[in-house]
Amino acid sequence: MAQTSSIHYEPVAEIGGGAYGTVYKARNTESGQFVALKSVRVQTDQNGLPISTVREVALLRRLEQFDHPNVVRLMDVCATQRSDQETKVTLVFEHVDQDLKTYLEKAPPAGLSQECIKDMMKQLLCGLVFLHSNCVIHRDLKPENILVTSQGQIKLADFGLARIYSLTLWYRPPEVLLQSSYASPVDVWSTGCIFAEMFRRNRCTNCVPSFPTCLSVIGLPSEEEWPSNVTLSRKTFRPVPPRPITEVVPEIDSQGVQLLLKMLTFDPFERISAVNALEHQYFKDEETATETTK
Amino acid sequence: MSNVQLSSSALERLVARRTFPLQKRTSVCRNLFGSVDHDELHREMKDKLREISERDQERWNFNFEVNSPLDGVYEWKEVSVDETPAFYQDSVQSGRTRVPATPVKRRPVEEPVLPDTPRLMERLSAPESSAPCTTEVNQENRKDKLNSGKQALRRVPSVKRKRTDTTDHTHITDFFVKRKKVVDRKVADASSCHQSTKSPIPLEQTPRKRIR
Repeated sequence: MAQTSSIHYEPVAEIGGGAYGTVYKARNTESGQFVALKSVRVQTDQNGLPISTVREVALLRRLEQFDHPNVVRLMDVCATQRSDQETKVTLVFEHVDQDLKTYLEKAPPAGLSQECIKDMMKQLLCGLVFLHSNCVIHRDLKPENILVTSQGQIKLADFGLARIYSLTLWYRPPEVLLQSSYASPVDVWSTGCIFAEMFRRNRCTNCVPSFPTCLSVIGLPSEEEWPSNVTLSRKTFRPVPPRPITEVVPEIDSQGVQLLLKMLTFDPFERISAVNALEHQYFKDEETATETTK
Repeated sequence: MSNVQLSSSALERLVARRTFPLQKRTSVCRNLFGSVDHDELHREMKDKLREISERDQERWNFNFEVNSPLDGVYEWKEVSVDETPAFYQDSVQSGRTRVPATPVKRRPVEEPVLPDTPRLMERLSAPESSAPCTTEVNQENRKDKLNSGKQALRRVPSVKRKRTDTTDHTHITDFFVKRKKVVDRKVADASSCHQSTKSPIPLEQTPRKRIR
């Protein structure tokens, strides 16, 4: 009991330490390869890193062994203990100059060519199929964490430990907004939003954060489609018919419309899977044309 | 020996290594491989960690500890986050959530974490407080602990101590912290095992007895 009164505040961990707002990147002078560091500061206890973090690192490393072309390369994971309460985990990634957000912003006024959109969608879905087949749900797909190399190669980033907790609601599917349970279809919805955005080159309006706006595009789902385990009743919403998708995304071709609608299906169980989306007729047309643009 | 389920060869091996606690014949004993020298283990781990860190540092010619480049194959450059995809931005993880590390203001003392580990540990392992605390406010936390099986025994007194200790300045972190530690803690395994050998009462019941 003697030491009771001595419990005052003590420095626990340095919060503002380090040079934030900057990123370290490097060029390997022998290979010419670019790498960048991303550090994640993890709270620890006397057992060291939380087991969830260890699992995530293990998962990232396992995925890395497949060397998938549409997933950002993770070259190394380095842990340093900063204090008893904090460990800094530094992830060494390949460095890619821009993400899809910048890419779309920098696109010529005429917009991206149909072939280019098709090619990028194909790559995006390839990466997604890879993640899903490894039981990884990205949960936060958006242009900011899809990297585009100077050769037009798409690389998914920011899953697992690398994830930055996001407040972006634009790409969130209805089941997430309704706080229903969700799984891999969430990523397909987000991909659908991104698909539409590639044509429009701005935030897809049918994916705006408010749920009613989302309904104004896809229409109010039927009673049967409405999830049973959510607090929000279907009756809360004014019944609206779906808007023709071409009104929202004018330049899309008919196959593209079909695919987009399948990706933006309200019911996650009815929504097309990534692997089936990749098999969609949209990608079958002009297969050769897409190949040559690579 | 009949109540220990080990193949005879494994048993022999244990006996040969003198790690098998032959003198303790109880029905509850999970201490299969002898007691662990935690200090030694800790030292070994520290050494190993340092070794790994040195290797990392060499491989990337970057000092990860102080976050500064060294001379070598990699030509390091510090660039603003605006010039590079947001994905590469640092982040802070606490529990299951992560936030970008850039705005320092975001979660001020989000680190509810751990007032001070050493002191806490000291308190945890301190002998039982003589003053029994009958008003156990922290039931919820305790229940969790009990369910986690192990270490309940040692932990309970410490909970009490802590509560009485901190009456002057109780903060919420007291409870959070403890819970976190308790769930994961393995260190106490050995000791709680020994303790349980003293009394025939199954682990789970001991704390209940204490509450009275």
